[in-house]
Amino acid sequence: MSDTATATHDDGHAGLVIENKKLLMWLFLGSDCMFFGTLISTHLIYRKLYPEAYDPLTVYDLELTSFSTFILLMSSFLMALAVSAMHKGELKSFRRNTIGVIFFGLIFLACQVYEFAHFTNEGLTLSTNTFGSTFYLMTGTHGVHVAIGIFWLLCMYFYSYTGKMDAHESAVDVEVAGLYWHFVDIVWIVIFTAVYLIEYI
Amino acid sequence: MSQTETETHAPATTYAPKTHVLKPERSNLGALRPDHSKSVLIDWLTTVDHKKIGIMYGAIALFFLFVGGLEALIIRTQLIVPENDLISAQRYNQLFTMHGTTMIFLAVMPLNSAFFNYLIPLQIGARDVAFPRINALSLWTFVAGALVINFGWLLQALQMMGLFEASGATAGMTDMVPAGGWFGYAPLTSTDYTGVGTDFWIMGLQILGVASLTSSMNFIVTILNMRAPGMKMMRMPVFTWMSLVVAFLIVFAFPAITVALGQLLFDRTFGTNFFNVAGGGQPILWQHLFWIFGHPEVYILVLPAMGIISEVLPAFSKKPLFGYSIVIFSGAVIGFLGFAVWSHHMFTTGLGKVATAAFSLLTMAIAVPTGVKIFNWVGTLWGGRVRFSAPMIFSLGFVWMFMMGGFSGIMHAAAPADAQQQDSYFVIAHFHYVIMGGIFLALVSGIYYWVPKMFGKMWKGNLSTWVAVLVVVGLNVTFFPMHFLGLLGMPRRTHTYLEGFGWESYNLVCTIGSYILAIGILLLLVDLIRCLRSGEPAGDDPWDARTLEWATTSPPQVYNFAKTPIIPARDALWSHKYGPEGQKITYEDDHGHGIHMPSNSWMPLIASVGFIPLGLGMSLMQAGVPYMGYFAIFGLLTVGIGIALWAIEGPGGYHLHPEEDAA
Amino acid sequence: MSEADYNPLPVAPEAHQDSETEKYHTFVNLALALAAITGVELVLVYLPFHDVLIFSLLLALSLFKFVAVIAWFMHLIYDKLILTLVFGTGMAIATGTFVALGFILSRSNVDMDAITQF
Repeated sequence: MSDTATATHDDGHAGLVIENKKLLMWLFLGSDCMFFGTLISTHLIYRKLYPEAYDPLTVYDLELTSFSTFILLMSSFLMALAVSAMHKGELKSFRRNTIGVIFFGLIFLACQVYEFAHFTNEGLTLSTNTFGSTFYLMTGTHGVHVAIGIFWLLCMYFYSYTGKMDAHESAVDVEVAGLYWHFVDIVWIVIFTAVYLIEYI
Repeated sequence: MSQTETETHAPATTYAPKTHVLKPERSNLGALRPDHSKSVLIDWLTTVDHKKIGIMYGAIALFFLFVGGLEALIIRTQLIVPENDLISAQRYNQLFTMHGTTMIFLAVMPLNSAFFNYLIPLQIGARDVAFPRINALSLWTFVAGALVINFGWLLQALQMMGLFEASGATAGMTDMVPAGGWFGYAPLTSTDYTGVGTDFWIMGLQILGVASLTSSMNFIVTILNMRAPGMKMMRMPVFTWMSLVVAFLIVFAFPAITVALGQLLFDRTFGTNFFNVAGGGQPILWQHLFWIFGHPEVYILVLPAMGIISEVLPAFSKKPLFGYSIVIFSGAVIGFLGFAVWSHHMFTTGLGKVATAAFSLLTMAIAVPTGVKIFNWVGTLWGGRVRFSAPMIFSLGFVWMFMMGGFSGIMHAAAPADAQQQDSYFVIAHFHYVIMGGIFLALVSGIYYWVPKMFGKMWKGNLSTWVAVLVVVGLNVTFFPMHFLGLLGMPRRTHTYLEGFGWESYNLVCTIGSYILAIGILLLLVDLIRCLRSGEPAGDDPWDARTLEWATTSPPQVYNFAKTPIIPARDALWSHKYGPEGQKITYEDDHGHGIHMPSNSWMPLIASVGFIPLGLGMSLMQAGVPYMGYFAIFGLLTVGIGIALWAIEGPGGYHLHPEEDAA
Repeated sequence: MSEADYNPLPVAPEAHQDSETEKYHTFVNLALALAAITGVELVLVYLPFHDVLIFSLLLALSLFKFVAVIAWFMHLIYDKLILTLVFGTGMAIATGTFVALGFILSRSNVDMDAITQF
């Protein structure tokens, strides 16, 4: 996807001169904020209404969730390095870091899948009560976002072998993917605190 | 820095845009890009040109305006006498649901989109939007959503003929068309009470949401990034400013309904408990989430109309808009405050004293910037040399009719008064005054104003006066008595009423009014067809207007501006025509580089088409049709593959050299 | 970009390399800080402090992690203000709306007898 405002109209422009794709991604993230905000608020509202409905501490495994949170944070670090590498044009470093992000992302997803399976075994399903419904929809949507990010990064990783990626052409594309990945991470930061840690107080 | 040349304003002639023969080029996929000069059908299906996309939005929107209008006429005919049995209660519910949904999502919003698409790049001096292919995706996704949401009519016809029955999750339900109101309150929309119609409604709205979101993000990037040199933010036309505010409103408001619809979908399909009372769900949450979207939505509907008025009134008063900055600022304030008033739709739900008072006060506060705008519009007219051309008549109508709608709105803002008015015909009167008297009149004004630019043909004769008279008289005769009906206690959304309440004569008058209105709108269509078929050439600037889009040919060339204009001032064209020497529009020299145009592409169409199986599959699954889940997955994969191929094919692009063509 | 100009691996000029190295150190430090804070949060919930205190500390720590990732990993602190405004407006509207919603929805509106499955 590109725009008609690059090579031919760089000078004398009255525009803001933030790369089009970057601005687009920030707008998308602004709307995704509202999106996750609604999902997380629904969960918190139902927790506030019925604190006695369900005791999540019977199924929560805080060590595992902390581990997966840590993994996702580290994946954000590697993503930042990948973006930096592409800015410098270092394709090998970019590939290493991107594979790292994908690998950590997959570990996170595996932890989520394990957690869902464990909860389901303990009797908490989508239709159990409001807790089940809100918890699975919220964390499930987050998981889908992570999966889409992993798929996107995989595509970028393979594309980097075609010789069409370099610092000039692709730095913005990688940056945009990075923004998306970091956003998915900060949503998890909020979920970790508001959904898991809060229950332990 | 680039050299500039001074060019005199283009002569007032029109000429058909040259067809540029495209040398077939290959995309990164190795496939040929669609050659837009080979077949008109392929050109329009694969176009990324904002002007063609705008025209398609407009044409489809006008079609749905008639569909929604027909639904309204049937409703009004049913209500002409007490205990009428023209249609059943279920059919009535479906008609008012579809009337509201169609008019809001399939008529007004796409008509707004038509103007955004056509005008924004022209008004800021750009060649196209920031992401032309995403623009095409928005259009075709809108079409997909419109198809999904109306598909139920087909099923309903089959059901009535005894050829189809729902099974599975909605077994026993006979409503194939959405019947839960355009706002779909839970728990009415659960599988206990409504059939597959609600599923079509959910999926259709979700798809339409994708179209709106992608479109508005595109426009924000376009307006912020692609303005011509010298086109500072405070020199932009008010219509573009209002479009920017609306785009931000869409970006922040739509996610709320996306989540709410998703939660409802999960309740219906997967047995979750978001709104299921037995499982702890709170139906009131649906109302909150819906109106958190729904209130900004009505400002999304009206702000573009206000933008159109702010263009037409100055043009036909030969005066600049009075208080340009304050009008823009008020528009932004209305947009922002619009997020803070949603519960005024819920005053009778037992919010509690504090919440009710807070929302009541905030709603009254929103009247202030609105009133400021009205005063500024009046100030624009004051002392101007007013010409009562067709666009002006409708814009003046807007100022008056919208104000009346605003008065009934302020009456709603007082919560104790609203306690009587809620769910009565008073509400219907209020919003139809602002939508019909306000938004619709502004849109018609925009149609009369800009059609000559879009098609290069001028309107013939004075049919517009008849349109104006019939529409204004019609809407007043239809909707004014509804204020009294509401105060007399007639409830909304009831398919009939008994004698003896004193409602009979009012209803009769309202129905007669609706037919007058219908004739007026039909005349608009007649006028439009006459203009397009046999109108005189319009010339570049038939109205002696003020803004940049009138500095192009009529219709504009595919590349809009042969050379990028350099903007000297606000109301750029006016200052070029009548301003001092230093305030003329000059043009950038492109050093023979030519004009870079985006290539046509199949991918947005392919991706959008995938939404149809996704929407229909998810819904028909609920009706018990076998294999529909797989159909939905197939649709989702089509969307995904379309997007993947889109990313790989690359933007392409070709160059045009207008000077060489002219030689 | 014409094919003739295509240069497989252009190397960034010296100054650019330095700023990237600075960024590298920032990223490493931030990553370590994030890991440490997560550890602190994990321990914090088990400590015998007052509820409100733990809640406030969790809120503050999470807020720091949130803002830090946005500012440094997502580069916002180095970018133009408009991006911060765009994102911030979304955040403000979301936060304001849902805090208000939290206050409006209360137990007094719930008919506990109607709920049959918990």
